[in-house]
Amino acid sequence: MLVISEHAARRPKLWFWFASLLSLLLIAAVAVPSLAPETAPSFLRPLSIDTDPENMLSPDEPVRVFHNEKKAAFGLYDMVVVGVVNETNPNGVFNQQSLSDVYNLTRYIKSLDLTPDSSKRGVITADIIAPSTVDNIEQAGLGAVSFNWLMPDAPKSDADAKAIATKAARIPLFDNTLVSGDRKALALYIPIASKDLSYSLAKSIQTEVAKYTSGNRYYITGLPVAQDQFGVEMFVQMAISAPMAMLLIFALMWWFFRNLKLIVAPMIVAMIAVILTMGLLVITGHTVHIMSSMIPIFIMPIAVLDAVHILSDFFDKYRETGDRAKTVRVVMDELSAPMLYTTLTTCAGFASLAFTPIPPVQVFGVFVAIGVFLAWLLTITLVPAYIMLMKESSLEGFGFVENAGEEQSPLARFLKKMGGFTFARAKLVIFITILVSVGAVYGINRIEINDNPVKWFSKDHPIRQADKALNERFAGTYMAYLTLASQDKMVGAPSDIVSSLSPDAQAVLKGADTSSFKAMRQALIAAQDTAESDALWDALDEAVLKIDTATQTSETFKRPDVLAYMEKLQKFLLETGLVGKSNALPDVVKTVYRELYQGADENYRIPETSAAVAQTLLTYESSHRPQDLWHFVTPDFRETNMWLQLKSGDNRDMKALVEAVDTFVAQNPAPVALSHNWFGLTYINVIWQEKMVTGMLEAFAGSFVIVLLLMTALFRSFWWGLLAMLPLTVTIAVIYGLIGFVGKDYDMPVAVLSALSLGLAVDYAIHFLARSRQLAIRYGSWHNTVGHVFGEPARAIARNVIVIGVGFLPLLAAPLVPYQTVGVFISAILVLAGAVTLLLLPSLITVFSTHLFPKSNGE
Amino acid sequence: MKLRVLSFVAALALTSPALSIDAKDVVLKANHASYYQGKDGKAKVTMTITDTQGRTRVRDFTILRRDQGDSDGAQKFYVYFRGPADVAKTVFMVWKKEAGDDDRWMYLPALDLVKRIAASDERTSFVGSHFFYEDVSGRGPDEDTHELTEETDNYYVLKSTPKDTGAAEFAYYVSYIHKATFLPVQIQYFDAQGENYRTYEALNVDTIKGYPTVTAARMSDKRIGGSTEMSYSDVQYDKGINDAIFSERYLRNPPRRELR
Repeated sequence: MLVISEHAARRPKLWFWFASLLSLLLIAAVAVPSLAPETAPSFLRPLSIDTDPENMLSPDEPVRVFHNEKKAAFGLYDMVVVGVVNETNPNGVFNQQSLSDVYNLTRYIKSLDLTPDSSKRGVITADIIAPSTVDNIEQAGLGAVSFNWLMPDAPKSDADAKAIATKAARIPLFDNTLVSGDRKALALYIPIASKDLSYSLAKSIQTEVAKYTSGNRYYITGLPVAQDQFGVEMFVQMAISAPMAMLLIFALMWWFFRNLKLIVAPMIVAMIAVILTMGLLVITGHTVHIMSSMIPIFIMPIAVLDAVHILSDFFDKYRETGDRAKTVRVVMDELSAPMLYTTLTTCAGFASLAFTPIPPVQVFGVFVAIGVFLAWLLTITLVPAYIMLMKESSLEGFGFVENAGEEQSPLARFLKKMGGFTFARAKLVIFITILVSVGAVYGINRIEINDNPVKWFSKDHPIRQADKALNERFAGTYMAYLTLASQDKMVGAPSDIVSSLSPDAQAVLKGADTSSFKAMRQALIAAQDTAESDALWDALDEAVLKIDTATQTSETFKRPDVLAYMEKLQKFLLETGLVGKSNALPDVVKTVYRELYQGADENYRIPETSAAVAQTLLTYESSHRPQDLWHFVTPDFRETNMWLQLKSGDNRDMKALVEAVDTFVAQNPAPVALSHNWFGLTYINVIWQEKMVTGMLEAFAGSFVIVLLLMTALFRSFWWGLLAMLPLTVTIAVIYGLIGFVGKDYDMPVAVLSALSLGLAVDYAIHFLARSRQLAIRYGSWHNTVGHVFGEPARAIARNVIVIGVGFLPLLAAPLVPYQTVGVFISAILVLAGAVTLLLLPSLITVFSTHLFPKSNGE
Repeated sequence: MKLRVLSFVAALALTSPALSIDAKDVVLKANHASYYQGKDGKAKVTMTITDTQGRTRVRDFTILRRDQGDSDGAQKFYVYFRGPADVAKTVFMVWKKEAGDDDRWMYLPALDLVKRIAASDERTSFVGSHFFYEDVSGRGPDEDTHELTEETDNYYVLKSTPKDTGAAEFAYYVSYIHKATFLPVQIQYFDAQGENYRTYEALNVDTIKGYPTVTAARMSDKRIGGSTEMSYSDVQYDKGINDAIFSERYLRNPPRRELR
């Protein structure tokens, strides 16, 4: 028995006081700055929630830096998408009433003040895409082109309303983006200054549209909304699911041990461990991210685990001695080593996550490790202390009332049979395990690595429904941005141009400085001032223009051949089937050009010269929204941005798109040297996922080796160490094999589960093997031992499996899929790890007993 | 609030004889000072558009202007682009009318195309700058109701509210009109929430041929971010610009002498 447990058993009250005070202190340290920030000392940090998947990558990660740079360069913001659908009207929303509502909604959104602090901007009103905020370019009688608001006022008639659909559908930038393909629905795009405003924006919109009566349905979606909504629901989840799991574990323990007062102990341990860990997390300035929000759910089963071992052992032994202090001593003597090692291995498993390249996963790993360690410390002190604090009388009737009776309990009988079976049919068990493992490997090879933050919500969640409704009707609500940057300067040497100038200009430049365009230009302009004749003045003016034209050749994305290349790329993007629609500079140019030429469809094309492109764009800049141009190209025309709308936010699809574009670019060289790159949230998700998969694999391999070394040290035998690794290896293989077979995507929660398996599955093996060795020493041969192993030790393991396995099923009721996933898999991992421990390990010991017990004769 | 302003104005009117001038007078004089100095005019303009990122684009053009009559009503403009090179020789021509929509044309030399530009309102961008077309050609004094809200030593402060609220994106604007010259030195545009989102500032005033003239001005817009500066050089008045120049024929054949 450890000194610390000894001390706790002697001074139980002191330890409880200490633990309670510490918990209260941490609760206060978190609550004060969170609830009353003005009164809190500055070194305390408030609780802050972070649901931004961007933070899966560290801020200086190149892909994130690029993302932010390009967002700024092209004036882009995260967008909330509001779909407006009317299923009762044959024209959909294109009727007088529905559009009046849309008109009012847009006005309302423009007037919203989401940030009380005036320095921060909320909705970027200038960039809202709605019928009343965009320009319609069209013919206005002979020889005229007009720029009018698409919907300057609420329509006066249904015919007016229908006309809006027809007009919008004619403009490629709006077709399938603003107006649906069937011209019955609308989508409004609302850019916001910061993602964390999206939830309050969505709420405001919901309140506003509740007042409308035209029968429109409003779907609010877009990645920012999903993320923000997730943050809100994460809180609900933490507040409901975790305590519910706690309650169920409590009920099950009560069913096993029938002593309410006694089983309060593991609950206290788990609670304090969670409070201390989360408190530490917050006061050290870490945000509560989706990953760290799961810390309590991971700590609880592990915290309860050891306490259940103690109670189970105490329960079985109490009657033998009838003395509380003595029993505690015996139990703690038996369990200290396995408990220490199970803790160390679990800590090693989670701490290994600190080596992944993903900051939230690092934080998660480190703090679960801390939590597990705290849980161990609390278990070995508070549980004995608690037992010592109980009145003798409350232990009355506790434990094996009749030894024979308990041995006859269904669980006990079942385990006895199981023990016998592993001894008699050892080879069969091993054979089946090998068979299952081979199948598992096959399943693992079929695993699809994929994630999609919108799918973190369950199918019937409003966000998922909105996602579905809008992606059925529009080009897509997932945004990705493809940039092309010119690598070629294309400007010749200044002196080369002189020979191409008129004789008048050459005469001026004779003897002048021709080393730079600027110097030549200045010389020509100075000569213009003294020019007598208009003809000379004009000739010099032409020369200046020629020089200016030469310097402008660097403006790559005004070149018709480059625009044609982009057009080809756009066509290819559409053909991949991954892109619903692409919006790019050629679309703007072609639309304006068409309207300059009577709006005839055959004039929907790129003009023939760079100057013609420039003048077409100059015309566009006379509209209400000239700034829209700079979402597609930088003012120096050296870099362009293609806005792609994807119907799917699955990383798998985004990844396929990235590869398809790489292939296209390799096979179709551009007329000038261009480099291409991606940004946007959908793309960022792919990058962090890739990092996570490899990161988790490396972390897992690393911790596997560490745990193996620990096991070898614990059992002072490599073979026993290896044996201890088997249940977790088989469990992980089977779980991931199953994931592959079922077709469940390998996403973030699934990736993290490997660490949990490592932590939990090895625990059972440690307890089983440690007790087996202790008992084998007492009983001599394995044959004599196996029955005893399948007594109390097997019962403790089985109870653990049931309590924790069932205890986490309430997570299935969660509306957030990652929690459901974790719930299902924790249960599966526990059941499987328990089964493998109780079946495979004794079978292997049976077959290899001569190896494992070299001194005994094996029988 | 409105009541208080009114009573404040009324109080001032009782004590200060200077306020005997009424809002309408100030507006008409300001309109004249800004857009109708001399019978005609010419200026070379360098327009620098700066975006939120601090990136700049420069447009050079020459403006010719000729008034039709003395009533501060109809005018004709001829805007000839010199740079950037790829839009050089583009012409923007306006026939501003006393009442009703102006006629606007654009000549695009690379397409050899003359196009009439029709717009629902005059608050579209002037060739991609932060200035609206209307800021360059002038907003009709009758389009708003004006109210003299304050008078300082140097300025008349006017609050102008559009009569047709649908045709303008602002709720009202406040102009600070210099008493001596009647040039607006600052105009602040406010939205329905009372936020000043757009501001015009006269940066420099020179007296040319006896006419006080704004030779540098800036328009900034918080909604789209950034600002545009226009600086005027070679400003001339009463050159006797021929009315025939402001015709479709001269779009394709720019008047060399006048543009020099």
